[in-house]
Amino acid sequence: MSATKPAPELSVLREPLREISGEQVLAGLTAALSWLEANQQEINDLNVFPVPDGDTGSNMYLTLRSAVEEARHAPTPDGADSVLAAAAHGSLMGARGNSGVILSQILRGFAQGSAQRAHLDAGGVALALTEASAVAYRAVMKPTEGTILTVVRDAASAAAASAASTDDIRVVLDRVVTEAHAAVERTTDQLQVLRDANVVDAGGFGLAVILEGFARAVGDAHAAAPVPALLRRSGEPALRLPPNPGDLEATGSPVARRGAAAIAPREQGWGYCTEFLINGPGLDVEAIRSELSALGESALVVGDPELVRVHIHTGDPAELIAAASSRGRMSKLKVEDMSAQHHDVLARAEANEAETIGTAVQERPQAPPKAIGVASVAPGEGFREIMGSLGADIVVSGGQTMNPSIEDLLNGVRAVNAERVILLPNNGNVILTAEQVDPLADGCEVRVVPTRNLPQGISALLAFDATASIEENVERMLAAIATVRAVEVTHAVRDTSVNGHDIKLGDVIAVVDDVITQVGSDYLGVIEAVLQSQDAQPELVTVYSGHEIDEQEAAALVGSLRTAHPETEFELQAGGQEHYPYVLSLE
Amino acid sequence: MIHLVTDSTSDIPPSDAQALGVHIVPLIVRFGDEQYRDGIDIDPDQFYAKLEHSGVHPTTSQPSPDAFATLYQTLLANPDDLVVGLHISSKLSGTLQSATLAAKDFDPARIHLVDTESVSGGLQLLVRAALDDIKAGDSAAVVADKATRRRSKVTILVLLDSLTYLHRGGRIGRAQAFVGSLLNVKPLIAIRDGEVHPVARPRSWSKGVEMIVEGVRGCAPLRGLAEFHAATTESLLDLEARLSTVVLNVNAILGRIGPVVGAYSGPGGLGVACLGAD
Repeated sequence: MSATKPAPELSVLREPLREISGEQVLAGLTAALSWLEANQQEINDLNVFPVPDGDTGSNMYLTLRSAVEEARHAPTPDGADSVLAAAAHGSLMGARGNSGVILSQILRGFAQGSAQRAHLDAGGVALALTEASAVAYRAVMKPTEGTILTVVRDAASAAAASAASTDDIRVVLDRVVTEAHAAVERTTDQLQVLRDANVVDAGGFGLAVILEGFARAVGDAHAAAPVPALLRRSGEPALRLPPNPGDLEATGSPVARRGAAAIAPREQGWGYCTEFLINGPGLDVEAIRSELSALGESALVVGDPELVRVHIHTGDPAELIAAASSRGRMSKLKVEDMSAQHHDVLARAEANEAETIGTAVQERPQAPPKAIGVASVAPGEGFREIMGSLGADIVVSGGQTMNPSIEDLLNGVRAVNAERVILLPNNGNVILTAEQVDPLADGCEVRVVPTRNLPQGISALLAFDATASIEENVERMLAAIATVRAVEVTHAVRDTSVNGHDIKLGDVIAVVDDVITQVGSDYLGVIEAVLQSQDAQPELVTVYSGHEIDEQEAAALVGSLRTAHPETEFELQAGGQEHYPYVLSLE
Repeated sequence: MIHLVTDSTSDIPPSDAQALGVHIVPLIVRFGDEQYRDGIDIDPDQFYAKLEHSGVHPTTSQPSPDAFATLYQTLLANPDDLVVGLHISSKLSGTLQSATLAAKDFDPARIHLVDTESVSGGLQLLVRAALDDIKAGDSAAVVADKATRRRSKVTILVLLDSLTYLHRGGRIGRAQAFVGSLLNVKPLIAIRDGEVHPVARPRSWSKGVEMIVEGVRGCAPLRGLAEFHAATTESLLDLEARLSTVVLNVNAILGRIGPVVGAYSGPGGLGVACLGAD
């Protein structure tokens, strides 16, 4: 796929590039997005654990896509600072997964480092990257080397060193890209898990891809030099180049078309932000979600058979309302023209009246907020229903392989309509995303109880007391999640060796509290092995069957477990989760 | 002389009542058209057997004002006689209402009624403490006053098999938040300020018992402890064994949750009541 032209000596052959404008920054970001999309699957395949996981490549792509969409509508398109600030905001709202959140922090830092600069010079680029690195490190409680953090820091050092000796941005960015790839190479030796799996860090690789896409578009719209071969080792992902970045808007290649399509909806206008409730009883939430989601973007469809809350951006609200009203009685309908809203916001901002931006939302007739509520994240209708029955006000759809964005979580938190909201991410790759919600929640206090899996989420909900303070609830929930052991049973998505287990594609594996502890060929055998390896037999085991397991199969499995462990109580629930045939909690 | 009157939700067995010298006014429990006076026409064994086998859900009703009036008439025959009445929380039953109505026909200085904001073992502990006060020579007004002040020192924790009976009987109170769980949980509730409060939702019985033990530990030092069950004697003895290592120097009252209270806690409930030291 790579261009066949020999790599030209850019800095020698061309005039030095001494500064870049907002348009060039946007071109760079757009190219980076296209570059990232082309490499998305490669990055996804770098998952350390052979489990279906929150995919790093997809998460970073969706995050950057949100950044580019926003950057295209920057208030001052030719100001680098304006474009970057818009990109930072967009990435924050769209951030999914840990690497997405860190990427959003990198963009935020880059924007902060470029503040008040309509044009960036070489020193400005270095300064912005340095700030990007600093902000990203601050976002993570325990920064780990051998990750995207190391890559951004090494890239920033390279930029600073290079900018000290040249004012040519091309040269600086060239150094940055080279050093970023070298840093990616080094990650394998910096982290034990990467060494074991013999891969480079996925998030770090994703960042190198982004920097490279950016550098190429900014440095030269037409020269797509191949990546130096020495940076690649056998068995490692090949960096896929998108078609000539200068032709990004062309229709020639499927990659370019996909990239353009991803951005297109905004170009056609902002559409209408449509919100309403559908009143039950007997609502089929899953069916409503799939029907309505197809009619718009950014769909949030949550609730239970009694009440479903819908928030969708759509170009055709009438069609959406017609579809929804056939499902049940609608109430609290609100339709806002986002283009108008957007222009309105801009006009007000220019007139220094920014504080009135939220008016439209405040005018909505709504019950007064309650003191404290809970928003939870879960995949699978079964888990969502169980969590609702245990007192979660809102259950945001998401989890493994479909990490919710910060905006998804923010919308969920807002829908709770409480002064204080406890947010349960219920997935290790959603915790960091959840932690970004509080500062965005307009005065609503959002506290994250870092639940790493669904059983912990259930335990936390069981400990919730609506009459207690948020501090007391957080404490109760933390104590509760410490008493439950989570077992997630799935199939290996590739061959690998982890924790001394040789794992083949398709093997049944059990992940106990984030560690792969058993490998086998069938569910019962693997679950049995997990139970037998426990120091003390659990008193209660709750078995949540996944989407692909039918009722009879699950009942048979639980029947066998009951016979083998007469002292233990077993409870079977339909969790409905994807990718994980069984999730168990041991108490 | 001061006569102490309570109602059958104190779960004091008739034999104990006689020995203690307490007068008990029965509430009524009904299975459809069948009507029983709590503790007189029906005992716990008969009640739980019926609860299990009768397809009808039991209902209860407060004693009639007349039942109180008749008793007061007898107890106040001598001009020196006084009555102190300690009754089930007015948020859970209209019993105190009936007593208050009946008392209107008497000199208000002769009948002192107290809303104990309590029930079952908690009410029983307050009754026994009041008997001690009478023995110690306190006046009726002082006995009633001490009982009123003591009620904040009562803690009642009940582990239920399910919330079904509490919910159906309309006494769910603030434990409403626990209703509707799709997971099997053993609701742990408290009676606080006279009504039902949710405490915790342990997934297993033994975890719930642990929580009860922890709750009792938090009430020390104790003046009195009562343990009540609607489950099996084993479950009660297991609880007693665990509590005996936590609560020393207090003789626990062991008993059963009677028919009227049992109509709300359902079969399988296990509870404690603690009375903190004065």
